[in-house]
Amino acid sequence: MSGYAGYVGRRLAQFLLVVFIGINIAYVVTHASPIDPVEQSISAVTSFGNTAPDAIEQMRKSLRELYGLGGTPVQQYLTFWKRILSADFGPSLSAFPTPVGTLIGRALPWTAGLLTVSTLIAWVLGNLLGGLAGYYRQSRGLKLMGVIAMGLHPIPYYILAMLLLILFGFIWPVLPISGGATMNLPQTLTPEFVFSVLQHAVLPALSLILIGVGSWFLGMRSLVSNVLAEDYVVYAELAGVNSWRILTSYVMRNALVPQVTGLAMSLGGIFNGAVITEKVFGYPGLGSLLVDAVYAGDYGLVLGVTTISILSVSVGVLAIDLLYPLLDPRVKVS
Amino acid sequence: MHASVEQPHGDQEAQPLLVVRDLQAYYRTSHAGVRRGIRAVDGVSFTVRRGEIYGLAGESSSGKTTLIKSIAGAIKPPLEIVGGSMEFAFLSGYGGLHRAARAELERIRWRHLSYIMQGSMNVLNPVRRVRSSFVDFAYPHIGGSLKQFEQLVVAHLARVKLDPSVLTAFPHELSGGMRQRAALALATICRPGFIIADEPTTALDVVVQKEVLGMIRGIQRETGSSVLFVTHDMGVHAHITDRLAIMYAGRLVEEAATAEIFRNPLHPYTKNLISSLPRIGEDAPRAGLAGAPPNLADPPSGCRFHPRCPLASEICCREVPVMREASSGHRVACFAVNGGDGA
Repeated sequence: MSGYAGYVGRRLAQFLLVVFIGINIAYVVTHASPIDPVEQSISAVTSFGNTAPDAIEQMRKSLRELYGLGGTPVQQYLTFWKRILSADFGPSLSAFPTPVGTLIGRALPWTAGLLTVSTLIAWVLGNLLGGLAGYYRQSRGLKLMGVIAMGLHPIPYYILAMLLLILFGFIWPVLPISGGATMNLPQTLTPEFVFSVLQHAVLPALSLILIGVGSWFLGMRSLVSNVLAEDYVVYAELAGVNSWRILTSYVMRNALVPQVTGLAMSLGGIFNGAVITEKVFGYPGLGSLLVDAVYAGDYGLVLGVTTISILSVSVGVLAIDLLYPLLDPRVKVS
Repeated sequence: MHASVEQPHGDQEAQPLLVVRDLQAYYRTSHAGVRRGIRAVDGVSFTVRRGEIYGLAGESSSGKTTLIKSIAGAIKPPLEIVGGSMEFAFLSGYGGLHRAARAELERIRWRHLSYIMQGSMNVLNPVRRVRSSFVDFAYPHIGGSLKQFEQLVVAHLARVKLDPSVLTAFPHELSGGMRQRAALALATICRPGFIIADEPTTALDVVVQKEVLGMIRGIQRETGSSVLFVTHDMGVHAHITDRLAIMYAGRLVEEAATAEIFRNPLHPYTKNLISSLPRIGEDAPRAGLAGAPPNLADPPSGCRFHPRCPLASEICCREVPVMREASSGHRVACFAVNGGDGA
């Protein structure tokens, strides 16, 4: 067990290092951006009328302070880390003076809900069907599934999303085409609100599931056909072991190992927000928030969203590394 | 091609467990409209008696594995059984496992017929403990409580000198030799009447090889099973088999008691095979056989060995020699041995 503890310790250190480097890169990229948030907001204010030059200078100074842009670059960098460690990303620029934390907190449940559910559905469906298609290669229905998955695969995601919008929004207008819920409903757990949320989630979820099922399906099918050639499967078949047993305990169980890694990675990636999905369907999640923040040069917000996604991807990878020895006994902790 | 099938000798010992008659198994492929047939097994007849170890020898691509697959009923396209029959004592009226129903197969396999494969080290599911392989393979046939079953497994593992603790181990935690022995225990746990062993010792070093052969022999004696033992290694055949058949290019060319084959080989191919074996005390270089085994997609006419045969005469190119008894229990398919009356 001490071996496992040491492994966890090393893995944790690695995790911290990855997060540190990731956040630094995000810092450098945002600060190297040609958009200066201070000038951006000053020009927003001055466009309303004439302002005295010294007032503008005053404003510039206080804004710099607020965004952590005062002092030398080294001082700025230290201020930045101080804020990260106290989980305070300061006020947002684009929605001044709302704190970044509040904005993220508002967007997070939408993204997390939509993506967790659709990722899980796509994973389960794709692997189940892909596994069956790899095992029962003669089945017509599953062969057809393979053809459909192959056909869907090369379609760019945004085209598919647009297609769904056109189909269910215009040609057969049964589903709402934008937003997370009906505008003026109070956001409490009333049946109407829940129904509205579900209704709005159908199209974005469907688009994600269609693409997701396709790629999990193809991956699982080829994994299964590799596993089928393994001696232990051939032997179990020769031994007349029950075919359902072979499919579940021998074929799927072995083929799933890499797929579980894939699942953890994509669950970790959820907090990136599905940028394109949220843009196309006007979904009020992290992805939309991030894009708007980039356009507005909102340092704090961009850093807030990227920090969360860096953390979540790293946590996902860490979790799968810690669980892997339990999943595949051959992975030795060393 | 009509080969004489050996008749049972009447006594209990000689009652056949498996009678293969004129078996033909081809690989049929069709590529871009061009049909090809590879006649991997072409008119093979033999009998496996109860309680014997019947050896099958032949070089690579002589059709040994195809023959085994056909007998085991592991027939998947492009392999097809084109003709002949295989009658098992425990399965009458089908003419081969490949015609039996799935439920019938699940009943027979492991209970009556089991296998030891070449890659025996890799036959255990890598992500599950060894115990679950025993449960999956044998428990449906043995029944009773799981506890009783486990006791049975532990007792059987002792026969192959394995500790009960291997049951809770994962396959990768065992050494190659231990895995080999676990696979052997797995193949024999149900005390099947018939065991097919396909190159079971080929990948092993000689020490483990000897150990495994001894165990197969021991279990076979104890349970009275018949074993169909396939390997290209004549040394292994000399060590373990009772009777031996030599296969060349999809056909049997000679069959006799193993000692008889080694003492008195009749077919020119067998003679060559035996004389190529090194002997202790002799250091003269061994003469090899000129030429290569024929392409089975387009085999030579007549006797398939004739292009490489030192005794080939004109009839060998035209007619297919038939397996005939040269002396009691010693069958050979060769015009030079049986005289020119093969037509």
